Amino acid sequence: MKMLFYKAWVETRVRFIAGLIAVSVVCIYYMNSHAMLVYYWTQDIQNPKGYHFEWQPLAVHEYGWYLWHFLYDNYLQQVWGLFAVLFAFGGLIRERSTGTVLFSLGLPVSRRRWLLSRLSVAVLESLALSLFAVVVIVAGSWIIHQSYSHTQVLLHAMLMVGAGVFLIALGNLCFTLFPGEYLSVILTLVVLGIPYLLLQGFMLNEDMLGVDGALWLKSLNISHVMAGPWQMTWGAAPWLGLVVAWMLTALLIGAAAVYGDRIDY
Amino acid sequence: MAVVIETLELKKNYGKHEAVRGLSLSVRAGSVCAFLGQNGAGKSSTIKMLLGMTHPSSGSGSIFGHKIDNESESLLIRQKTAFVAEDKRLYDYMTVAQIITFTKSFFPNWRDELERRLLEQFDLPPDRKIRQLSKGMRTKLALLLGFARGCELLILDEPTEGLDPVAIEDVLQIIVSLVADGSTVFFSSHQIAEVEQIADHVLMINQGKLVLDAPMDQVKEQYRHIQAVFPDPVEERDFRVTGIEKVHAEGRTVSLIASCNVDSIVEHVRMMRAKTVDVLPISLKEIFLEKVKAKP
Repeated sequence: MKMLFYKAWVETRVRFIAGLIAVSVVCIYYMNSHAMLVYYWTQDIQNPKGYHFEWQPLAVHEYGWYLWHFLYDNYLQQVWGLFAVLFAFGGLIRERSTGTVLFSLGLPVSRRRWLLSRLSVAVLESLALSLFAVVVIVAGSWIIHQSYSHTQVLLHAMLMVGAGVFLIALGNLCFTLFPGEYLSVILTLVVLGIPYLLLQGFMLNEDMLGVDGALWLKSLNISHVMAGPWQMTWGAAPWLGLVVAWMLTALLIGAAAVYGDRIDY
Repeated sequence: MAVVIETLELKKNYGKHEAVRGLSLSVRAGSVCAFLGQNGAGKSSTIKMLLGMTHPSSGSGSIFGHKIDNESESLLIRQKTAFVAEDKRLYDYMTVAQIITFTKSFFPNWRDELERRLLEQFDLPPDRKIRQLSKGMRTKLALLLGFARGCELLILDEPTEGLDPVAIEDVLQIIVSLVADGSTVFFSSHQIAEVEQIADHVLMINQGKLVLDAPMDQVKEQYRHIQAVFPDPVEERDFRVTGIEKVHAEGRTVSLIASCNVDSIVEHVRMMRAKTVDVLPISLKEIFLEKVKAKP
């Protein structure tokens, strides 16, 4: 198994490094913009003719909310999700196009073990990416003289990965089903990205408008589950959403395994 | 001698195309069995079915008694079988040393000494990336990775394709030495001369069906080319005798390919008042060409 992990790592390490860079850019950009945005929002609050959103006082006074909103509820989550899906790209069906699949299948390794090793490395890399973001946030916050609970940032990172495994499983199944080496990447990102972004945008508007009529939709909104509440506690964690995400993940991995067993190479 | 590979009425369809049509064959332990056929005859499909890479449409097969269409038994087959694919594509992002370490980890009987010897003999640079190797070097590396596994069975799909004559000779010698050490070799090839050099059994497949299954000695001893000239024109239907595989009559001359029963055939030809009868040895290449030209 160690060698299968090694192979999967060698095949994805460039993507992983690209992920580290992308995550750093997003985190640094929003931490660097904090002072400027707080300044503008404060101006707005003091100006009777300025914008007055319900969340503005919270954003101005709570650095923790600011980070959660812009990173874990939005841009960091999107970038992390993109790379988590890309880490899952590969495996036996992709090796068919590179011509190495017969060498791989000639080894005494079952197709399910190939799949498992691939997904395990994708999950580990996604976890490492989220922990790297924690390090960047902690270091960046220290540099800009802001404080944010390390426990909270860690919990949000764990929740993002915990629910985000669903994206990895769905991405893997799409890569398996869609034809072509590059076409499958594009189709997978479209199939995953459009509903994700639409649902995230819709739920964001619902929240901001204070409408609570789409609670059922929240359970389906993976973005909402990955973000959790800004002040995470044991009781406030989205357990139902997590359970749903894990069940769907198991279902998707099972479907990919069954389908993979039937493929003729 | 025990049977290592056995198939019974094995079939593989890709949509409406029948790639393998009821193939029944057996390969005995300790033999070098050549698997011949034209491109698209069904050789690679058969090999892929044997190794669990494709699923048979019907029929059955086994290697070392393990069923080929059962995933867990297929794993046992691949523990005991070294496979070298036709295209010899390897992970091109790895170095020679890395892919050796990678492959070695799956085979507890890996032959380190043979690995070192072949690295030297094939002149393979351990630190070079596979993508930087020539086609011939990649083939040598793929063969090294197959030979050093220490497996009881080697399945080689076109093992010498892309190699120079010196390397081909080296590879054939290695195959012979592995068989001397107790391995069984099942290989496909288009190089009939190589097959004649090392194989002790020949299987020929044409359009998915087995058209020849015989020991090489029997093929060499019993297959004959009989040419006869008659005083009057003859027809092909005059030569319906057991053992005649192919008849080609043109005017007063007839050309026969016989697989057995040569004496009786010659007697039959003489009784038809042939003026001259020549019995000539026939090469495997000629047999191959006759077999694949014929409709199965």
